[in-house]
Amino acid sequence: MPSEQEIFEHLKGVLVELFEIDAAKITPQAHLYQDLDIDSIDAIDLMLKLKDYTGTKMQPEEFKNVRTVGDVVDAVRNLVSS
Amino acid sequence: MNPPSLVVAAPRSRVDHLWRLLGTGLSFACFGIGAVLISLTLFPLIRLLSWNKARCRSRIQRAMHLTFRLFVWMMSRLGVISWEVQGRERLLQPGQLIVANHPTLIDVVLIIALMPEVDCIVKQALFRNPFLRWPVVWAGYIPNRDSGALIEDCARALRAGRSLLVFPEGTRTVPGQALALKRGAAQIALAAQCQVRPVGVSCRPLMLTKHEPWYRIPPRPGHWRLDVGEAIAAADFCGAPGGHAVAARRLTQELAARFAPYAQACSWV
Repeated sequence: MPSEQEIFEHLKGVLVELFEIDAAKITPQAHLYQDLDIDSIDAIDLMLKLKDYTGTKMQPEEFKNVRTVGDVVDAVRNLVSS
Repeated sequence: MNPPSLVVAAPRSRVDHLWRLLGTGLSFACFGIGAVLISLTLFPLIRLLSWNKARCRSRIQRAMHLTFRLFVWMMSRLGVISWEVQGRERLLQPGQLIVANHPTLIDVVLIIALMPEVDCIVKQALFRNPFLRWPVVWAGYIPNRDSGALIEDCARALRAGRSLLVFPEGTRTVPGQALALKRGAAQIALAAQCQVRPVGVSCRPLMLTKHEPWYRIPPRPGHWRLDVGEAIAAADFCGAPGGHAVAARRLTQELAARFAPYAQACSWV
């Protein structure tokens, strides 16, 4: 099972690749919508991309409460461990 | 010693202010009352006479266009506003995504007054309004439901050869703040692979802006300028490394660059 740090690093790579976000801005506290300029369509793309990583589909409800990069890491960890 | 002309000018400008204040109030009243009356008479009549859905949509949109033209003519005649348009004929090509910056309340009225037929996105709340719900359904206007479905609805209209009007800011510009475009319009254009037609809108002196009540009118009638620009092909933005999320960002940046001079030209004086 990947560690929290590994998940974070993977997510960082995905955010840079999909959305060309400046890697320096990506911290666990960074807010997806306010700090990283991700919108609802991007969030769907991100969920699809993370499905390749977790192997299971993330439910939209699980993503609803996600606000920060750290929240995404937690959501991915829950999926991988369950 | 005061020159006499100044003595005369002061009361005249007060009369002018009062006239435009009344004219603006009258315009608002006419718009509201007119919308209800037409929704109860002309639009149902058109619906009764046009059972074919596409024909009904086309006729209702044309009726909206004509009533908006009448409304703009009335506001101009009252001396409340004035306006000019460059490149109007460019709006008439079918199947293009019309995008405009949105400094004032009546931008949509002016653009529809220029286009005999155009699809629009309207607030979902309007589909629950007892007077307006049927006209917006008959006009084939698209409700702003959840983003994925909305983009697909819009792309479908464009692929069918209809033009669609979108304000990428999502709401009116906040005066004095930098333009903030959402990427939904770009997403629609990329999904439909259509031509994007930018319309730069400026208003000077500004009136009918966001957070400003209708009765706060400028010292002179507001003058609107609408410039219909060169089209942008959505296809030119595809194939960017990083996929369509990056393409949407690039296209949105291009739109922001096109709109910037018009947003800057808006001023209170």
